[in-house]
Amino acid sequence: MLSRVADSLYWMSRNIERSENNARILSTQLIHMLESSDQRVMDRDWEEILEICASKEEYYERYARLNRDTVIQYITLSPANPNSLQNSIVYARENAKATRDHIPDGLWQLINRFYLDKNAQQDQPMTPQATQNHLKDIIQMSMTCQGIIESTMTRGTPYTFIKIGKWIERAEKTARILNVICEKTLKEKNSTDTENYYHWLTALQIVNAYDSYIKEHPPTMNPKDVLTFLIENQNFPRSIRYCVDHILNAIHNLESGKISHYSEDLFKLLAGMQEEISRTDIMNMSTEELMAFLDTFQEYCHRISRTFSETYYLVEPVHASH
Amino acid sequence: MLKNYQAGTFFDEMVDQLGNPKPHYESFYQLIRQISNDELREKHETAQLSFLRQGITFTVYNDAGGTERTMPFDFVPIIITNEQWMKIERGMQQRMEALNLFLDDIYHEQEIVKDGIIPEDLITDNPNYYKKQVSGLEIPLKNHIFLAGIDLIRDENGEYRVLEDNLRNPSGMSYVFQNRYVMRQVYPELFFQHSIRTLEHQFKDLHGALISHAPTNRTGQPCAVLLTPGMYNSAYYDHVFLAQQMGIELVEGRDLVVKDDIVYMKTIRGLKQVDIIYRRIDDDFLDPEAFRPDSALGVSGLLRAYRKGNVAILNGIGNGVADDKAMYAYVPDMIRYYLNEEPIIKNVETYFLRDPEQLDYVLDHLEELVIKNVGASGGYDMLIGPHSTEEERSVFRRKIIETPSQYIAQPTIKLSRAPAYQKGEFYPCHVDLRVFVMNGTESHVLPGGLSRVALKKGSLVVNSSQGGGGKDTWVLAEGGMNHA
Repeated sequence: MLSRVADSLYWMSRNIERSENNARILSTQLIHMLESSDQRVMDRDWEEILEICASKEEYYERYARLNRDTVIQYITLSPANPNSLQNSIVYARENAKATRDHIPDGLWQLINRFYLDKNAQQDQPMTPQATQNHLKDIIQMSMTCQGIIESTMTRGTPYTFIKIGKWIERAEKTARILNVICEKTLKEKNSTDTENYYHWLTALQIVNAYDSYIKEHPPTMNPKDVLTFLIENQNFPRSIRYCVDHILNAIHNLESGKISHYSEDLFKLLAGMQEEISRTDIMNMSTEELMAFLDTFQEYCHRISRTFSETYYLVEPVHASH
Repeated sequence: MLKNYQAGTFFDEMVDQLGNPKPHYESFYQLIRQISNDELREKHETAQLSFLRQGITFTVYNDAGGTERTMPFDFVPIIITNEQWMKIERGMQQRMEALNLFLDDIYHEQEIVKDGIIPEDLITDNPNYYKKQVSGLEIPLKNHIFLAGIDLIRDENGEYRVLEDNLRNPSGMSYVFQNRYVMRQVYPELFFQHSIRTLEHQFKDLHGALISHAPTNRTGQPCAVLLTPGMYNSAYYDHVFLAQQMGIELVEGRDLVVKDDIVYMKTIRGLKQVDIIYRRIDDDFLDPEAFRPDSALGVSGLLRAYRKGNVAILNGIGNGVADDKAMYAYVPDMIRYYLNEEPIIKNVETYFLRDPEQLDYVLDHLEELVIKNVGASGGYDMLIGPHSTEEERSVFRRKIIETPSQYIAQPTIKLSRAPAYQKGEFYPCHVDLRVFVMNGTESHVLPGGLSRVALKKGSLVVNSSQGGGGKDTWVLAEGGMNHA
């Protein structure tokens, strides 16, 4: 397969996944914020959303204040935010268009149609209801994409690049979310149990892990349990461990089980990360140690992404944001 | 609704002078009468949307950037009888053969010039004549024209005539298939009682023709690719479709690299040798080393690899010398010269403005003639005399006097018309037909082709960049219609 095509499949997949994750985060937070009235708490929550879904610094370069409509606009439609939902969809569509001869026609048509329909709606006012519907549509679109990919694509090289893109994007996002939440609990050391409960519940909800978590743990929201679940669980498809295992496995298959000179670095990196996860004892870590661990982790994700691109001669990612 | 439809003074594809359907349109005529107006409107919408959603679009560039547009689709097909089609098919193959012999001759001995059939300066002055780059080359199968698109029109007597040869990068083949696809999806009932030549097996022929150009020094399964300028090109969908249907890789210039005069593509496993390139990039942009140095679309060293015979490039480089509007007038002579035959499908009469006598005649009759720039295409730099203003004519008069050899003139032909259904009514629109010919070890003519229609009322321009639309083209199978 052409490196350019592999690259486009990879970024198409990452952008679909990114749009779904960011849509879910915004949607969840908007609902949470309905119950808060304290301006300080609201500002903190807005900043948190910006940090997870975009870049707080870039936002402040353009805007002086945190204003509900401005933040929503920035996350959803703003062309200035490289990670806005609209941009993710445009990138996903462009990459899908460039690989039309490699992806199922249904997948291209779904993305294209979604883009066209959303463009036609752009002039509508963004009422809270319209915003929520828009976010739901994006989540649905991503889910449908995955359905088409799973049910129609041959398990070959294009499929593998699509899946790896998804897993890298997911692992990185989960690490970032946990980082932001940990930082918050650290800042608010004296917070009450209720507040803590709320923070970790949010973490689970924005990773879309709440339902799965609650089946294995009591709803007490013990931070260590939540972190263990989102980092180490081997069976939950959005945990970091799950993503890393699957990337390693996929590359193993792609290389027919052989570690060649050119793929050595990638294998080493993935195996190193896997080991790091199994070695770490989350239960006995302080919050500071956890933060450091999560930092290493995000760095790992970036390195995997970079090394992966180098290994398969992927072109300089035009639309990369990290 | 077709009750008030009149042929007028034009040749109409569907109805005769009295407004009655011609025999080969009779079934179709009866079938559409059974569909209500509401239904027609609804189907029309569905059909247009289908093109948009599938992303079958071309990009139109203007000051505000590019906008994606679909080519409007009109559901009334052009129906061609088997007998008419057989003649077109033979005419196209004859024309291809002569044009290919001409190209090979021009880049070798130029016998046709020596024998005084074609003036030498018509070749040497042609900007698309690449003597330095490709003369004297032995190319695979001696075939310069892998895929051609020949534009046909019908005059007021219904006789088919060649309007233009496209021997470089004719686009539109994907539309032939997509028009049929949408037609079958949205108007299935209209196919009843008709027996139509299918398009299903055409890719086998196209792929076969492509692969037959493999360089002789290569053994094993040749690797063929389609080279596109990229997704911002107006014909990108055409490129995607052809690559996909032939099962070959769609590459851009940046995906290819030439090392030691061998062409490779960059894959995730390193470099892979490429044997055949079906390029949809113009000659000028192919290789910055050999042509325009500012080309960012091409591949450095491609021409060297080509000259060494390490890679086949289709269509051949330098075909532009044979398909411009000035050389067009000589194609009947080429057919006589190389094949010793009379042209089966005639040209449109053409005046050469380099000839002082013809020039005088043309300048005196501008309001009756069509003036075309020999180097332009897509309906640009063209004057349609009867539809022109005094001011437009004086602009062209100046341009012609300044560079007479840059222009040709043709009589205004009363292009045939066919009904089109737009905005809830049927009205007559001018049509033409682009016929696709695939050449390799064997030559095939795609049954039917792309019928283009000038949807603006009264317009003569069928080009999609200027508001033209497309129609499905039905070639009736032998035996005509099944009155089942």
